[in-house]
Amino acid sequence: MDIADFRRQVYAWLEAHHDELAPRFEPPGTVDEQVAQMQRVKAILYEAGWMRYGWPERVGGLGGSPMLRTELGAALAGRDLVDAGLHSLIEVLAPTLVEFAPPELSAEFVPRLLSGTEVWCQGFSEPGTGSDLASLSCRAVADGDPATASSWIINGQKVWTSLADYADRCVLLTRTGPPDSRHRGITAFFVDMDTPGITVAPLEMINGDREFAEVFFDDVAVPAERMLGELDGGWAVAMSILPYERSSCFWQFIASFYRRLEQLVEIAPDDDRTAEVVGETFVQLHALRARSRITQHRLAAGATLGAETSIDKVLVATTEQATYDAVRRVLPGTVELDDSPAGETWRNEYLHSRAATIYGGTIEVQRNIIARRLLDLGDD
Amino acid sequence: MDAAERELLQATIGDALAAVDADQPDAVDAVLADLGWIEMLDTARADAVPIVFRALGTTNAMGSALDDVIVAAFGLEPRADLAVVLPPFATWDPPGSGADGSARGLATSRVNSARQLLVVSGDGADLRGAAVPIAAADIQVVRGVDPDAGLHTVQLDLAIAGSEPLPVGADWEAAVAWGRVAVSHQIAGACRTMLELARTHALERVQFGRPIAHFQAVRHRLATALVAVEALDASLAAAVDDPGPMTAALAKACAGRTAGTVAEHCQQILAGIGFTTDHPFHRFLKRTMVLDGLLGSGTEITVALGRQLLTTRRVPTLIDL
Repeated sequence: MDIADFRRQVYAWLEAHHDELAPRFEPPGTVDEQVAQMQRVKAILYEAGWMRYGWPERVGGLGGSPMLRTELGAALAGRDLVDAGLHSLIEVLAPTLVEFAPPELSAEFVPRLLSGTEVWCQGFSEPGTGSDLASLSCRAVADGDPATASSWIINGQKVWTSLADYADRCVLLTRTGPPDSRHRGITAFFVDMDTPGITVAPLEMINGDREFAEVFFDDVAVPAERMLGELDGGWAVAMSILPYERSSCFWQFIASFYRRLEQLVEIAPDDDRTAEVVGETFVQLHALRARSRITQHRLAAGATLGAETSIDKVLVATTEQATYDAVRRVLPGTVELDDSPAGETWRNEYLHSRAATIYGGTIEVQRNIIARRLLDLGDD
Repeated sequence: MDAAERELLQATIGDALAAVDADQPDAVDAVLADLGWIEMLDTARADAVPIVFRALGTTNAMGSALDDVIVAAFGLEPRADLAVVLPPFATWDPPGSGADGSARGLATSRVNSARQLLVVSGDGADLRGAAVPIAAADIQVVRGVDPDAGLHTVQLDLAIAGSEPLPVGADWEAAVAWGRVAVSHQIAGACRTMLELARTHALERVQFGRPIAHFQAVRHRLATALVAVEALDASLAAAVDDPGPMTAALAKACAGRTAGTVAEHCQQILAGIGFTTDHPFHRFLKRTMVLDGLLGSGTEITVALGRQLLTTRRVPTLIDL
């Protein structure tokens, strides 16, 4: 389907079904409410077919360019029908299954994620593994000969795992090679979160939300057919997420930033100081959107996305923070003191935005990549 | 033009401009004329303006091609004997809008060869263009921070005998938009050169026994500059793909902001040598300071854009996938 047609049809459909789709709680809502809302919206949209565009037919999709699902996600985020951060997690989970899972596994499970039947999480970070993902140590050992074992036993810990406390499945990275094997000794598994031995301990974030968690694995047995990709081929699985994280996810975030800036100018005082602040934010936001559009068209044209998406990542992070900084500059006391639902939302999201330069590879790591790979400055 | 034709044009113009003395506006104009600049402006404007102005910026050449862009945007025939009165520094209202019937503004080196000045006055539907004999204007050379930019101040009384009306339509905004796209590409080109100068210096300059490019503080400054330049390029591409007053304004505002960011980081890395006139950095820094003020400065346009958002209470997304 043509993307402009799709956009028009989605916008019209969302408008016609707004009352059915709108959240039934006061914003910002708890994580419980946000997750329930997201699953409800996905179920309605899957039923109506919209949620299936841009996904391959072999996983229950209706085909077409991945940009179709990006458009849908952005339309939902831009209307506050879903939280962009939660909804766009699909983009760092489902493509992994599509690309690396045995066909019957992805055909069985991906529709459950798309239709809001299940929540999934991504087990990458560990207490000792932040920006340096290749140092991870959560261990998977074959129960017998690795070539023929029917199951793998997992021991270790993950942390900062978004929605772990809600998740039915986890895309998990484990150490299968020697401890110092770095990116060569990592294997990915698709793990049922109700497997005995998994303990989830939610962490309270700076904004009070319990969105992410620590996840402990004590002798967790995972069937061998749940391996994603090759044994010791987990690094490729981890890296395959990058193109979608850096295109589709970002486009959805950008839609939510536009929504917030518009909400800000709806209530901001009409004076020169405010004009300068919102003008600056608008200039940055537009440049980010323009950059992300170019990236997505490159991806759609078959380009392999790589180090240059670190630029997109830096722009998304700094623009998100600039948008919420603008709120504090323009509406003094709102983030700090306002206990109305609007104030709660600005406060919640302002505090959340501080993580933008930390997660998904810190801004320092992105600048290191830019320096080495794009500016060719040699090793640091 | 297809991608291959664009690349060829880019290489041809880049090489030709690199070979002339950037401080000789006549030589720069002659090179562009030889390469068919006026025809390109007529038949392939959306390709030619970005390529030519980026190359001007990269090589620190100035010339008077901006006059041609503005004249062509009004649907008139660009000619060497017609110079445009640009709005005063940092502003963008038609220069002939003075209440006392006077016109004030800036002009490029074109005034050295021009016989007439294009002066636009009025606003909206009442926009008027006039070709005024150049002898009737008070024209002063501007030295300023960048004497090589070849700028002049212009002042004249609009009620001058011998001025001919020129049909400019009601298209001041469109002409400003084209001018902004041109100047913003020139700024982007200058930013690229500043970044390359700083990068080269970082790789060559040895301190504490190794090139300073190894130090993360230096690397991060260069990375920050590259991110800014890439964001500007994206904003410029949007202004070309979805042309209009707002995408052009956003690009020009972004250009001003980017030039500040890039100059700050690159100058710090170039340190002592970048503080001298022995090194070319200062020329690009000074050129971007002047270019920022043509057809509205980054700061002034940003405030105007913000005011527009506050008036409409809307934030247009402007570009789609």
